[in-house]
Amino acid sequence: MDTINLRKEIQKKLADIKKTDILVGIPSYNNARTIGHVVKAVQAGFAKYFPDKKCVLVNSDGGSTDGTAETVQNAGIESYQTILINHRTTPSFKITTPYHGIPGKGSAFRTIFEIASALDAKVCAVVDSDLRSITPEWIELLIKPVVEGGFDYVAPLYHRHKYDGTITNSVIYPLTRALYGKRIRQPIGGDFGFSGKLARFYLTKDVWETDVARYGIDIWMTTTAMANKFKICQAFLGAKIHDAKDPGADLSAMLHQVVGATFELMDTYFDAWKNIEGSEPEPTYGFQYAVGLEPVNVNLDRMLDRFRLGVKELMGIWKEFLSEGIRVFLCEIDSLPRENFHIPDEVWVEIIYSFAVAAHKKIINKEHLLKSLTPLYIGKTASFVIETLESSASDVEEKIDRLCVCFEKEKRFLVTNWN
Amino acid sequence: MNNFLQRVIIEPFERFFEKVLQFLPDFLSAILIFTLGIVLGFILRAVSLRLFRTIKLDKFSERSGVVEIIQKGGIRETVSLILSRIIGWLTIISFSILSLYSLEVPAIGQILERFLLYLPNVFVAAVILFFGYFLSNFLGRAALIASVNAGFKASGLMGKFVKLTIFLLAATMALEQLGIGKETIIIAFAIIFGGIVLALAIAFGLGGRNLAKKYLEKKLLKGEDKDDIKHL
Repeated sequence: MDTINLRKEIQKKLADIKKTDILVGIPSYNNARTIGHVVKAVQAGFAKYFPDKKCVLVNSDGGSTDGTAETVQNAGIESYQTILINHRTTPSFKITTPYHGIPGKGSAFRTIFEIASALDAKVCAVVDSDLRSITPEWIELLIKPVVEGGFDYVAPLYHRHKYDGTITNSVIYPLTRALYGKRIRQPIGGDFGFSGKLARFYLTKDVWETDVARYGIDIWMTTTAMANKFKICQAFLGAKIHDAKDPGADLSAMLHQVVGATFELMDTYFDAWKNIEGSEPEPTYGFQYAVGLEPVNVNLDRMLDRFRLGVKELMGIWKEFLSEGIRVFLCEIDSLPRENFHIPDEVWVEIIYSFAVAAHKKIINKEHLLKSLTPLYIGKTASFVIETLESSASDVEEKIDRLCVCFEKEKRFLVTNWN
Repeated sequence: MNNFLQRVIIEPFERFFEKVLQFLPDFLSAILIFTLGIVLGFILRAVSLRLFRTIKLDKFSERSGVVEIIQKGGIRETVSLILSRIIGWLTIISFSILSLYSLEVPAIGQILERFLLYLPNVFVAAVILFFGYFLSNFLGRAALIASVNAGFKASGLMGKFVKLTIFLLAATMALEQLGIGKETIIIAFAIIFGGIVLALAIAFGLGGRNLAKKYLEKKLLKGEDKDDIKHL
């Protein structure tokens, strides 16, 4: 596999650092508003929890024009006493470098993996640059399971608002859980810990010109770890509060990249998932507590309008791979009033599995296929919102769990129709 | 009287009969060649289909992305079937031309010659139409999905408009290649296309004035009433 050429000054810096115990990567693109806080939290995490380890912070930037790189360079702990420690015993380093390749988070991660490999890092972690709720404890929780527990991959576990992360809740989590039999609640969480061994394994894969280089990187990292039998656990990080992801990106593009990467991985790892039945919980670290979350505004009428428009106009595309029963159902609920609007779990599962099979069999162009899922996804999200308007966080979690069980039960449909 | 009958009726009839006798072997051989062509066409079609399936051409096409390109154009048949059909038809057409040549009629020979010289244009026009059809289906569907996802009420119309425009453009190019009404077609296309654009501009400008005003006010002054759901 081709490696990327790092800039000369970065190569010189790496030659000076030689090796590191811990490396934390922060991908960024115009995040000057929030990245300073993230850098401080990471450095405080190094000082507080790994004072005797050699630590490196890498900011892999996509050509920000708002001063992100300067913010990273200038951000730091002004006084270690504020975080109740006297000083660090081992110095920590900071590297800011632009990444190469297709613009996107995946390409930023690739540069981080390259630097981790060059420095022979024992443990790595990556955290998003738009986080507002990150604390130094996140670094401890993402790193320690690898250092002390011998795990290769630490997935995050957050408290999120019931309407935050709806692609995760309605598609990615249930689907990956049913496929690989592991209950990783936030497979596309964005903040992960992993061993140096796994970072080097990631670099051996030639995926950097695909959707993995964009939003697909998170699901790719999690699935690659699961399917290749790396030791996995979860770490409870508290609340996840962050800026909206890339406000310029539209929902259908996000859905296309994330779901597309998941479907592509289903092709790659068919032998790994075809015989798995049910699922099992993974070890979870961190002290779990309830947190208050910001309310989320939902425009239900707009969502239902989008769903209805999709049913009216895209049925001609869907009829090539959705069963007649599903199509009749979609036409029926299309005319229902808002309060009666409901897409049952069984219907949603069949829709997602049918899309996965259609993508596998290349029934129509993949981008068209995945983008045509958008109105159905919006419909399912609207149905979810209507059903959970009065529900508590735990009720919602139970509801998501029921959806996951439905995905597991109906897996036979997927396997049978796959070939 | 006898002499008259001989010259007016019998001699022309004899000459005609002689010509028919001369022409008949050519005609029979032409029919034979044509029939042979049809039979051979069907045989070659079946043999090539079997051969393509044996060498797993469809799987290779699937891996190399050819199938995807064909499917984008809405064609559901396998590559093996399409290629074997082309072979079959090429055989039949070649034998048909041979059979016409074997008639040894000067007029047919001239027509065939002109036809053969014209064939490359037909081939290029067919290729243009073929790709135009693919592209119109592909872009029409892309426009339809994008407009639905953008919440555009007239998405169906938009998809059809894009599809038709691309196909019309391809058809114009193909007809130009065939040399059929060169200027007329280009002018007609320009008038129709320009007319549609003008009609839309007027329709939006007059009919949709209030709608556009409301939309812009909403966008620029208050912002669209969006929800705060974070999907990822």
